[in-house]
Amino acid sequence: MNFFLEVLVGGLLSGIMYALVALGFVLIYKASGVFNFAQGAMVYLAALSVVGVMEWGAPLWLAVILAFAIMTLFGIATEKLVLRKLVNQPPIALFMATIGLAFFIEGLAPMIFGSEPRALDLGIVDEPIPWILDNWNMVISKFDLVAAGVGALLVGTLALFFQYTRIGRALRAVADDHQAALSIGIPLQHIWAIVWGVAGFVALVAGMMWGARNGVQFALTFTALKALPVLILGGFTSVPGAIVGGLIIGASEKLAEIYIPPVMQDLFGGNFGGIEGWFPYVLALLFLLVRPEGLFGEKHIDRV
Amino acid sequence: MSKKIGDVILDLQNISLRFGGVKALTDISFNVREHEIRAIIGPNGAGKSSMLNVINGVYHPQEGKIFWRGKERKRMEPHMAAQQNIARTFQNIALFKGMSVLDNIMTGRMTKMKANFIEHALWFGRAKSEELAHRRKVEEVIDFLEIQHIRKTPVGRLPYGLQKRVELGRALAAEPSMLLLDEPMAGMNVEEKQDMCRFILDVNDQFGTTIVLIEHDMGVVMDISDRVVVLDYGKKIGDGEPEEVKNNEEVIKAYLGAGH
Amino acid sequence: MLYREAGQFKTTYAADQQLFPIRQDRIGLLLLLAVAFVGVPVLASEYWFSAILIPFLIFSLAALGLNILTGYAGQLSLGTAAFMAVGAYAAYNFQLRVEGIPILVSFICAGLTAAAVGILFGLPSLRIKGFYLAVATLAAQFFIVWCLTKFPWLSNHSSSGVISAQDIVIMGFNFDTPVSKYLLVLAIVSVMALAAKNLVRSSTGRAWMAVRDMDVAASVIGIKLMPTKLLAFAVSSFYCGVAGALYAFCYLGSVEPDGFSLDMSFKILFMIIIGGVGSILGCFLGAAFILLLPIFLDFTLPGVAELFGLPFSNATVSHIQILIFGALIMFFLIVEPHGLARLWQIAKEKLRLWPFPH
Repeated sequence: MNFFLEVLVGGLLSGIMYALVALGFVLIYKASGVFNFAQGAMVYLAALSVVGVMEWGAPLWLAVILAFAIMTLFGIATEKLVLRKLVNQPPIALFMATIGLAFFIEGLAPMIFGSEPRALDLGIVDEPIPWILDNWNMVISKFDLVAAGVGALLVGTLALFFQYTRIGRALRAVADDHQAALSIGIPLQHIWAIVWGVAGFVALVAGMMWGARNGVQFALTFTALKALPVLILGGFTSVPGAIVGGLIIGASEKLAEIYIPPVMQDLFGGNFGGIEGWFPYVLALLFLLVRPEGLFGEKHIDRV
Repeated sequence: MSKKIGDVILDLQNISLRFGGVKALTDISFNVREHEIRAIIGPNGAGKSSMLNVINGVYHPQEGKIFWRGKERKRMEPHMAAQQNIARTFQNIALFKGMSVLDNIMTGRMTKMKANFIEHALWFGRAKSEELAHRRKVEEVIDFLEIQHIRKTPVGRLPYGLQKRVELGRALAAEPSMLLLDEPMAGMNVEEKQDMCRFILDVNDQFGTTIVLIEHDMGVVMDISDRVVVLDYGKKIGDGEPEEVKNNEEVIKAYLGAGH
Repeated sequence: MLYREAGQFKTTYAADQQLFPIRQDRIGLLLLLAVAFVGVPVLASEYWFSAILIPFLIFSLAALGLNILTGYAGQLSLGTAAFMAVGAYAAYNFQLRVEGIPILVSFICAGLTAAAVGILFGLPSLRIKGFYLAVATLAAQFFIVWCLTKFPWLSNHSSSGVISAQDIVIMGFNFDTPVSKYLLVLAIVSVMALAAKNLVRSSTGRAWMAVRDMDVAASVIGIKLMPTKLLAFAVSSFYCGVAGALYAFCYLGSVEPDGFSLDMSFKILFMIIIGGVGSILGCFLGAAFILLLPIFLDFTLPGVAELFGLPFSNATVSHIQILIFGALIMFFLIVEPHGLARLWQIAKEKLRLWPFPH
């Protein structure tokens, strides 16, 4: 039982990390209707920027600020040079363009900052929390807990930002109806630039967390890809959906990884590890068959 | 006019349709007779397009019965309408933008083609002969609508009026017994409207096709339709021949606004 | 002057509906085939066959498969490589386990197996569209590759799922030289490309395009969405499956599941974006472009680097490659969404008028 809880909590905590990445997708999708496949690559770029700048001798805080500047500039450039030129194209063309963008980033980032895997030290150690280990006999990572806290803080801040600031209101208006927002004088392109900036910031936070946990390396983009099933579960337009979806994916993939292979081994023989690699996607696929709009997404009625 | 209006072929009884909490149609009954031109009019948002969507199975009403040629119709899917020989056009042109005019109209004959994909891939058996036979039929439609010159043009490149005409062509290619037209003349200039009227009347006259039509241009409606049904806020407020409807108190009120 | 249709009057619908209505196109195609079947085998070197021509043809076939699904039926898939893997492993297992089965029958069965798997993963397309579907196809990508690695039976208990393709023997002739493999692949690809061309000009193809362009209208005119979409998945996966079998049997000889990676799926997607979404010709142009670009860069980049005195490592070259792929995708989507095939078409239209300005 303890072991089960340990796996579950570990899964939930890493689920928050997925949610962090998914959040970036949701922001851009809500504001501009673009499904940004490159969000994962942006996480990679952000993490690489931090370690890269630190290698040039900058302290962590400066590296973070510079990385944030890089992400913002990059986001704005993407919006101006690529997405704006595709405004009237079907959504699927925009989606494919962001796949191109992902490749572009995955080529560019290591050219500038180097491609060898590196550690990112944020001063938080990935070790069990002694108090929980003593009292409950469960291994819960200190790092995971901090990451979860950061995730919660970020979500809270974003929620406040959206709810109470002028820009936040404008963002929501744009998300609701581009034309209507334009007609009451909301500068769409500024808004989009801001959204890409914010998404860049979210990618930075996610990149630092993931980078510190697993090392800054190319595999980061695959981890980030898992935000996609999270989105399907949660619905593309919902911030709470991204969180809940992240938790479900995180917990279920860890549980599946622990509990399914032994059963399979009994049935077929051989080694069936690595279920984590596909489980979120298959779960999302099955979920799509039941509830295509996601847990929190809006149901879409086709008008003829 | 020498045409003979026949029996009731479509009978809608007490139709109600809701989207969540929004009532699109409330307790609407009316019928359509064979060979007639039946107009549905009403202000924006009155539920006219929803009515057409109910008739051809895109929407499923929560209440009410539909009788098609005397038999009660169970829940049906859109593609079954085509099998029952009901064709339609859409308010916002729903052509296949990436295909040529010819191919668009050819799709109208899809239900009549029997060859399977293996025959298509190998281009043997029925595939070739069928293609040619249907091409001949489609060319008749193209001649009828006078669009020979744009046969091979991708529809995305055509002006609005011509696109509307191609859409009518796609519907006609199915040789429908009933044709649903959703604002066929919206956004057209006078000349284009006259052409379209002529085509509609010709279709009705030459092929005996029953036509259900939504239109905002009252002049056109009163001129070409045999009977008119008037909707407002999802309810029926008038039904009858054009003259009758024109003098109906409630209809006048709906069009001029309440309180007059 | 040479390329024009003036004087070629069509007097029957049959003449108007043929595959290549313009005479020059027919002659051009026949010439091309003659060169491919006769000229190339005489002239090309072994390196050309095994490093360029064979993979080019195989990837063109896979791109055809993806283009049928994405370009014609409008269903985006990111799992192309996984369906190729199904084909490769199915062909291997048919050869291994069915006594005396002719290799071509194995290839067809491989395609059919891939088609069955394709239908399975195409089921969600009945309820979802666009990028939702794209994510669902990622499930196919990861799940299939995992299965091939983990179920030892599928690779006849070899370590980490590596399989070595059996010999290709047809009517006693062993296709063991690069030239003979090239000719076999060329024949299969030619036939399948012709079949694809036939499919997309018939009512099957029109149904796919109708669903792609506007599915509600398509269903109203009587197209059943479910069979139409699933057929697209099946045919597309069939093509990918055969491509996968050829990839294992005629190109690499031995393959492992991880070779059919997400990266490969993307590569094939890029082929159709650059070549031309919804164009048969585009599949070939795109495959050639994507395969030749890295070779071209390998040759030129070190020289360029030397010119500017930059230290270029191999890693940098591969990064530049990825970067250029990404940039090209964005460039084509912005500037010419219909890809190289459209540029070719425009060139032909220009040629029709040449040398007169109008």
